[in-house]
Amino acid sequence: MRRSIKTYLVLLVGGISIFLPFPGQSQEKNDSSARLETKMTLNYLCTSNDTVVLTANLSIKKENDVFVLENATVVFLASAGTNSKTLGKVITNEEGTAILTIPLIDMPSDKDGVITYKTKFNESGKYTASEAFFTAKPAKIKLSFSIQDSLRYLKVDAFQKNSKSEEVALSKETVMLYVPRLFSLLKIGEIALDENGTGSLEFPNDIIGDTLGNLTILARIEENERYGFVQGQHIINWGVPKQYYKAEVPSRELWTPIAPLWMIITLVIMLAGVWAHYVYAVYELIMIKFHKKKDKSSF
Amino acid sequence: MENEQNSPIKEFAPQLERTSIQGYAWIIFLLAIIGWGVYAFIQQVTRGHDVTGMRDNVVWGVYIVNFIFFMGVSYAGALISGTLHLFHTAWRKPIIRMAEFITIISLLIGPGYILLCIGRLDKLYYLVLFGRIQSPITWDVIAISTDIFGCLIFLYLALLRDLATLRDYESLQLPKWRKRIYKILALGYTGAPEQQKRLKRATDIMAAMVIAIAIIVYSVLAWIFSVTLQPGWHSTIFGPYFVIAAVFSGSAVLIIAMWLFRKIYHLEKYILKKHFVAVGVIMLVLAAFFGYFTFSDYLTKWYGSEKNDELLIQLLFKKFYWPFIISNYVGVLLPLIVVGIAKFRTITNITITAVIVIIALWLNRYLIVVPTLESPYLPIQDSRPEWFNYGATWVEWSLTAAGIALFCLLFTLASKFIPVVQVSELQEEAKPEEVLV
Repeated sequence: MRRSIKTYLVLLVGGISIFLPFPGQSQEKNDSSARLETKMTLNYLCTSNDTVVLTANLSIKKENDVFVLENATVVFLASAGTNSKTLGKVITNEEGTAILTIPLIDMPSDKDGVITYKTKFNESGKYTASEAFFTAKPAKIKLSFSIQDSLRYLKVDAFQKNSKSEEVALSKETVMLYVPRLFSLLKIGEIALDENGTGSLEFPNDIIGDTLGNLTILARIEENERYGFVQGQHIINWGVPKQYYKAEVPSRELWTPIAPLWMIITLVIMLAGVWAHYVYAVYELIMIKFHKKKDKSSF
Repeated sequence: MENEQNSPIKEFAPQLERTSIQGYAWIIFLLAIIGWGVYAFIQQVTRGHDVTGMRDNVVWGVYIVNFIFFMGVSYAGALISGTLHLFHTAWRKPIIRMAEFITIISLLIGPGYILLCIGRLDKLYYLVLFGRIQSPITWDVIAISTDIFGCLIFLYLALLRDLATLRDYESLQLPKWRKRIYKILALGYTGAPEQQKRLKRATDIMAAMVIAIAIIVYSVLAWIFSVTLQPGWHSTIFGPYFVIAAVFSGSAVLIIAMWLFRKIYHLEKYILKKHFVAVGVIMLVLAAFFGYFTFSDYLTKWYGSEKNDELLIQLLFKKFYWPFIISNYVGVLLPLIVVGIAKFRTITNITITAVIVIIALWLNRYLIVVPTLESPYLPIQDSRPEWFNYGATWVEWSLTAAGIALFCLLFTLASKFIPVVQVSELQEEAKPEEVLV
């Protein structure tokens, strides 16, 4: 009996202890009154149609884990010296990202045409304020295509804007060329720009495009100290048309409309065999019950 | 009434009629663990799979290990109970019911772990609507559902005579609703020769079917791995290897269940040392087969010197050294020594060995799943180290504990409804002349 009570007490204490909070949980409660530090990053992209795409990412750090901050208002600004202009306000999405696409019109810039972009998150509730900057001079890449002696050429022209918003050549920089694939970008070459901001490349003829042979070409100046991230884009019908594999007979691939016949036959035979036996067993059970009724009626 | 006095069911009456304080404490304890598991599950549903250790590279973890483990235990229960029934093994009577309970309960819990792996449970019905016969996952869904039906029918057939005995045992102090349930479920079975004949025929057929289905279903589960081009998985012997591992783990679970029920319900009169030795010998033979398959699989991989297989074996002998040793050396050699040498062959030793075998086989499944996913043929672009190195989180461990607790709870509740030993067979054994009438 003593042993039983002892066992019972051990089990009871064990059961209750399951529901006791972990030390970390009470810590979390105490910490909830302290403000959480936010962190902002800003990415810049200047496109060939004279627009700038600003992408701000907002996150918080909590117990060594980084979480994104959703539904937060991020303010975008452009400035040069004391001259500042609010570009807009964007609410972060479920990934903590706020994206603003804005035309390069009436932007405050310094005497070299450089613009400072700023994103700001004002402190609110339990989060601290944070901001991020990016400085870049507007630039542009244009792509053109030509065929000479049955060889295909891709030509790149890069421009930058001076303080009067006039386009002048962007020289001595490297332009990377890519074709987007399913998961990442396929690099097809790079061009060193000459003094006139121009360069060309013989276009490879073995890149697979869509079913019509269309390819999207991206030309990029990447992570440049002066121009930031500049991108030009063009679609051209210079790819090898994609041929979808069509199986002549049904095969094991999941995308074929029908399974191989041997597989269907095997499955049907096995399932029919098994379920027929089940049905027979259930039939015997029914007959056992039926037998009882028959017995009663004979009385 | 005199018959009732001599009936073995009299000895099982206390376990059916009332629950002791310890019994209630045990149930509350199990419910507490399950409750904690529910909390962990809510965390997973609301916060997503980020709360688990599963990532882009290691997409399967402890959940799939538990799934394989429980399904293995289930098939083992089916194989053992089916075989013992079919071959009319003399010593089967006190343990066959436990094997049947193990089958059904594991079969109900195991697939639950698959659901925990799925990110979009709301789209689960797509598997039925758009499932393709070419997919091993579809084979598994078909096989498991077929198996559940088969095992339920087999269990019901095996229970029928006991249900009739419980219905007819008037001295049993049970609430009316329970007697009514026994009456309905007994289907009016009176033991008439015609009924006996039909019951035997159906049970024999279903015993054969559950053996066949258990082999097929566990092979299908193995094929999910082996048809995949992954180091360590793409093996032709995975089907039989999984089946052997399953029966091996099931025999160990059966020994533990026998020991527990023997202690709790004082069944020393029915569950004897010879039963432990008999199941222990099954465990010994399966340990030898399991060791042979494991050695054969790793030897060919190691000798082939294929780059990724070599990396996997290195990983097993370095990062996973102790789990590998426990799983493939301790788990194999211990049953051979303890059951093989007569001096060590005691009930306690066999049970402790069974516990170690269970741990070893759980680790075996972990070593099949995780190290392979940590060393894939094709690395994913922009992958981070934390995506390659899997570690189960508190959510996964909580749900693992909840699954084990649910298994124990359902076993406890089942034993409250039906005796854990087939009383009708023991009754026949006591009065053989009545059976012949």
